[in-house]
Amino acid sequence: MEFTVRSYRFNPEVDKQPYYKDYILNGFPSMTVLNALMKIKSETDGSLTFRRSCRSAICGSCAMKINGISKLACKTQVNSEITKFGIIKVEPLGNLPVVRDLVVEQESFFGKINEIKPYLLGIRENSPDEKFHVLKDGEKITQPVFHKSEFKALTGNNDTPNCILCECCFSECGTEVVNKKYLGPAALAKLYRYIEDPRDNDRDGSRLVNASKPNGIWDCVHCQACEQFCPKSISPVKSIVKLHEKAIKNSITFSKGAKHIIGIANSINKTGRLNEVKVAIDTVGLLGLMNDLPVVFRASLKGKIPSLKLKLIKDMDDIRLAFKELDREEE
Amino acid sequence: MITYVYYPGCVAQESGKELDNATKFIAEKLGINLLQMPEASCCGGGIIDGFDANLKLFINGRTLALAEKNGFDILTICNTCTLTLSEVNEEIKNNPALMKKTNAYLSKIRLKYEGNVKVKHLLYVLRDDIGLDKLKDVVVNSLNGIKVAPFYGCHILRPSEVIKFDDAENPSGFEELIKAVGGEPVSYVRRTKCCGFQTILIDEASSTSLSGNAIFEAQEQGADLMVTPCPLCHLSLDTYQNVAAKSIGKKLSLPVLHLPQLIGVALGGSYSEMGFSRHNVSLKPVMANINLK
Repeated sequence: MEFTVRSYRFNPEVDKQPYYKDYILNGFPSMTVLNALMKIKSETDGSLTFRRSCRSAICGSCAMKINGISKLACKTQVNSEITKFGIIKVEPLGNLPVVRDLVVEQESFFGKINEIKPYLLGIRENSPDEKFHVLKDGEKITQPVFHKSEFKALTGNNDTPNCILCECCFSECGTEVVNKKYLGPAALAKLYRYIEDPRDNDRDGSRLVNASKPNGIWDCVHCQACEQFCPKSISPVKSIVKLHEKAIKNSITFSKGAKHIIGIANSINKTGRLNEVKVAIDTVGLLGLMNDLPVVFRASLKGKIPSLKLKLIKDMDDIRLAFKELDREEE
Repeated sequence: MITYVYYPGCVAQESGKELDNATKFIAEKLGINLLQMPEASCCGGGIIDGFDANLKLFINGRTLALAEKNGFDILTICNTCTLTLSEVNEEIKNNPALMKKTNAYLSKIRLKYEGNVKVKHLLYVLRDDIGLDKLKDVVVNSLNGIKVAPFYGCHILRPSEVIKFDDAENPSGFEELIKAVGGEPVSYVRRTKCCGFQTILIDEASSTSLSGNAIFEAQEQGADLMVTPCPLCHLSLDTYQNVAAKSIGKKLSLPVLHLPQLIGVALGGSYSEMGFSRHNVSLKPVMANINLK
């Protein structure tokens, strides 16, 4: 089976700008994209640079864009890509600076993981002995250690502990493209994992408060790309939505994002419909809307300003009852 | 005549009324009977589970139950409504506990849902249920090879565990429709990316940069028009196009059509029938090319 691998190439020490180089390979249909890249490196061009390690979709090292989608090269079959695209086009992950060829700089990604404090908060003011410390000889861990299945049973969280930090979600994230300060799907999914952990001792709710500030949970655009393209079938966006729900239920509602969702819920509770004007006012306030006066003015000239008072849907009592049922569920 | 329960969603009944009108126009031409459902509520805008996951389940379970009672599948014209209804449909059907919980609420409003309804977006109703051949047969104003950039948006493609209309990595349904009505689809990377609408009130500069990047790329690839199957994407791409231009520091001037407006023009719809006067970016520069009166 003959096929072409078209690789992004860039060595900042010698290249003025990136370019693509084609390699014609004679491979076997069931080979992976990583097999193909390793064949090129060993037989054709030793200068082609890419990360790889486990070859088993466990370490996350060989994440790269394959025909435009972030994937693990070791988990991606050549055959399926050739069938769909006719070529294997490989490029470095998105949303991260390129170091060389298919290798990206990872500091910003791991910096964001560190930012959410990816460890159990465990300082107990009255028990200095229980502060996190290096175990002494013979000392045992006092906190319970959960098996993954126990953790799932306790928290309902069955996917985020499986994250291998491969950066595919970060590379595909819609918000990350335009907001480099955004914490990103992997860090927020990890945050959810710690918030749900019964051993975590976040007494003042600082995790949720910090995550509700700009560049946190409310900046997700809900594009679903993190879920779609996670090679480990994790859904960071679902974790982010659970963080939204948790923030609102804990009255952490200072952010525009929380106000937006509460505005939508109130609108549905009153009319059964989404009142676009009212929700915008609830989210940004009348003053905030002034920033968009040119948009509002142009829209009004075109007759596109929606009604302020909406007609109730038929059988509106059904919806009111749904809201009452929520209170009952909480009790 | 093929019948669906029509679920236009909230935006198409208010700021995006032209979408609702264009949908009804093409439905009549194509023999699609749109059964009105005045009891239907808002789906929650794709984010209501962030308020309460049960609320998403109840209000959308109710919509599905109403459609089931009517005996027809649901036709949607908004990506986000499509995903929300589809997610709840899948959750209820695959999780007996959720089915029980939803039906406990529905029983109090004299409804019951058994999981027999399908949620279909207009784009794929046209491709799969009406068929491209029938569509070609009723075209009276072929679009003269005008270059059309399809903007799929997110919720009509992802997550593919729930939304199974097309290949999420390399979709083709939209391009097939554009060709069927005589247009030439423009290929560009951002056709499947996000328009940013969900954060337009939260971080306008970032949100509109996403729509701006997509419009700019489509323009660079020679598009005369952009078309979207979602009224929320349309707000970002058309209503906010001037803001998007400022956000990315580029000149943008690309008319953006709702999907049924493009089909409607090919089926003989006029400028006023398609509601183009309600658009922010004028269609006048391309009207002659598509023989639009």
